[in-house]
Amino acid sequence: MDEKEVRADSAFGFDGSWREFAPIAFTNLLLTLVTLGIYRFWAIRRERQYLWSRTRFIDDRLEWTGTGLELLIGSVIVLIGLGVPFLIVNFGVQALALRGYPGVAALVSLAMVVLVFYLVGVARFRMLRYRLGRTYWHGIRGGSDDQGFSYGLLYMAKTALGYLPMGLMVPWAMVSLWNDRWQKLSFGNQRFRCDAEFSPIMWRYVAIYLAPMAILIFLVVVGFTLLASGAIGPDMGQDELAGPGTIFAFMIVAGIYIILPLFWLFYYAAFLRLVIGELQLGGLDFAFDARSKQWFGLIFGDIALVVGTLGIGWIFLSYRHWKFFITHMQAYGEVDLLDLHQSETRRAGHGEGLFEALDVGGL
Amino acid sequence: MTLTPSHSALFYDGQSAAGRTGQVEAAGGVLFFVAEDQRYGPFLPEDIRHLGSAPGTQIYGHKGRDGWRLRIDEPIPEAIVELLPAVERYGGWIDRLGLAKASGLFLACSALVMLVILTVPEWLAPLIPHSVERNIGAAMVGDFGGRYCRGKKGQAALAALTRKLDKGSAKAPERIDVMVADIDMINAVALPGGQIIIFRGLIDEARSPDEVAGVLAHEIGHVRERHVMKAMLRQLGLSVLLSGSDIGATAGGILSLGYSRDAEGEADAFSIARLENARISPAATADFFDRLAEERGETPGWVNYMVTHPQSAARRNAFRRSERKTANYRSALDADEWNALRNICPSREND
Repeated sequence: MDEKEVRADSAFGFDGSWREFAPIAFTNLLLTLVTLGIYRFWAIRRERQYLWSRTRFIDDRLEWTGTGLELLIGSVIVLIGLGVPFLIVNFGVQALALRGYPGVAALVSLAMVVLVFYLVGVARFRMLRYRLGRTYWHGIRGGSDDQGFSYGLLYMAKTALGYLPMGLMVPWAMVSLWNDRWQKLSFGNQRFRCDAEFSPIMWRYVAIYLAPMAILIFLVVVGFTLLASGAIGPDMGQDELAGPGTIFAFMIVAGIYIILPLFWLFYYAAFLRLVIGELQLGGLDFAFDARSKQWFGLIFGDIALVVGTLGIGWIFLSYRHWKFFITHMQAYGEVDLLDLHQSETRRAGHGEGLFEALDVGGL
Repeated sequence: MTLTPSHSALFYDGQSAAGRTGQVEAAGGVLFFVAEDQRYGPFLPEDIRHLGSAPGTQIYGHKGRDGWRLRIDEPIPEAIVELLPAVERYGGWIDRLGLAKASGLFLACSALVMLVILTVPEWLAPLIPHSVERNIGAAMVGDFGGRYCRGKKGQAALAALTRKLDKGSAKAPERIDVMVADIDMINAVALPGGQIIIFRGLIDEARSPDEVAGVLAHEIGHVRERHVMKAMLRQLGLSVLLSGSDIGATAGGILSLGYSRDAEGEADAFSIARLENARISPAATADFFDRLAEERGETPGWVNYMVTHPQSAARRNAFRRSERKTANYRSALDADEWNALRNICPSREND
């Protein structure tokens, strides 16, 4: 009997614990420090190997088979293949500018910016392809036949279009690119399908779009109130201004670094729920049920952990984030194991170098 | 009848998602997997890799077969374990050495690497060929925006003075070129490649050629003792080698070169020795430094020298103490030469 019926609350499960994770995290930290960072590729492998092995999907555990060596090779390739040419072009641009060809120098600089923009898109896709390709379930892995180079072009075009009308088409760009990414990916012989529509999250986006303006208006109003009430005045001395001035500065900083990111999270939570909810694989439907409140909990928990442990807690963040992700992932439908065969896609040769180098965000 | 060692395991053949439960067997140095209706194998120990673990099982893969898995329940009997690769914990040979030893080894290597990197200025500077140094120096200032003073007689006087001060360095391969730059700062700087620039402000401020001689000898000392490249590497890192033109022609960039106290001391000693050799009085130089240290001039130019050549009273006194009462000192330049030097730059309206 190889058909598996999936109940929503039991499809995904995580049974790891931070106590089990701690020795891995600490020895990783030790070895990474004494090797001046080189061990981090193997540290990532050990982390993922543990996290994946404690993750259950329906009736079997996930498996991570990426190696530290391929991550290292990926990084080295990017360093040599991209880093060095970039350095050379950089000096070429300076030389051009100094020798009196500022126009050409500007063009070359622009071309470099466009190239990096393109590579960000490529990196994001290849990272997904690599991670799916090294994830096994029932001995089957994921992957893609696409190398990501055409996705890079889509990424450039749609992101530009999204930001062009004063940033108002960003939700469309984000959702559309998500569809584009996942439609090129597969697991085993089954292709992912995703056809999300951006309109449900548009009002959230408008809300956070207006947020900075609201904050600005709020700050201006506060400023004027202070002036009007005489608490501060144009001919006050420096010492008298210090008090309300500090509070005002603090409000500005809080506004930019705390309030705005929280607004963004509010939108992003809805975005993820929408796009994962439209993701399908074979007979399976996926869902993600983390609400903004739970995202806030995650982020504040992270901050509290890191601050409370004077920084050491940082090594547990990957554990927390994976656990959060799996706990809130759901799946419905059925899987016929006899229908699921090994992937025929080419295995990615090496991992994530571009992704790491360009510091692109996940998922 | 020998009992074939066997143990419970889960098997995936790597083609289908349907796994088989059964027994893994060790027989004749190879492994087999036996399910209720089928026997898989033989699998050679050298083809098997340890991939990881899950609660209660160890997971093994096959080198040639993507997705092939043997998940063997723990504890695995000895007869089967000896055919399997060792459990990987940290990766590679760290497991063979043990965590403590490997960490110690890595730490030693890292310390060595850090040591090498931190002392780059010391060991790399002497390795840089003179021609490369010259190119770097030239790239840094080019022709200083055309601000070199070209008064012929003044240049001749300067060259003569330089030869006098540099006599002991006959065997040194590097040529020293001294130029005066038409910039109203009281300063002098040695560039990579043997080029020394004296700023006009210093010539104007000096009351006698002996004072200029002391400063010049000091800068020559930096060149001959090979401090210049070391100081640049220390200050600006290896980027200076890769991008000479990046520093630009700003005098400020060059002047911010800081020499270590040892380097300054060595240059001072060099200067004192050369002045002695050329029979030039070191007292004048000491007076000059004293004046710069005390004076609070109206022009901002004065502050430059003291900022970039921090001097303690001890260093100034070293010059003073090296004066010998019985020595037959001569002036560094004769009256004609001194005049020529003072006029090396085109005169300006308020001169």
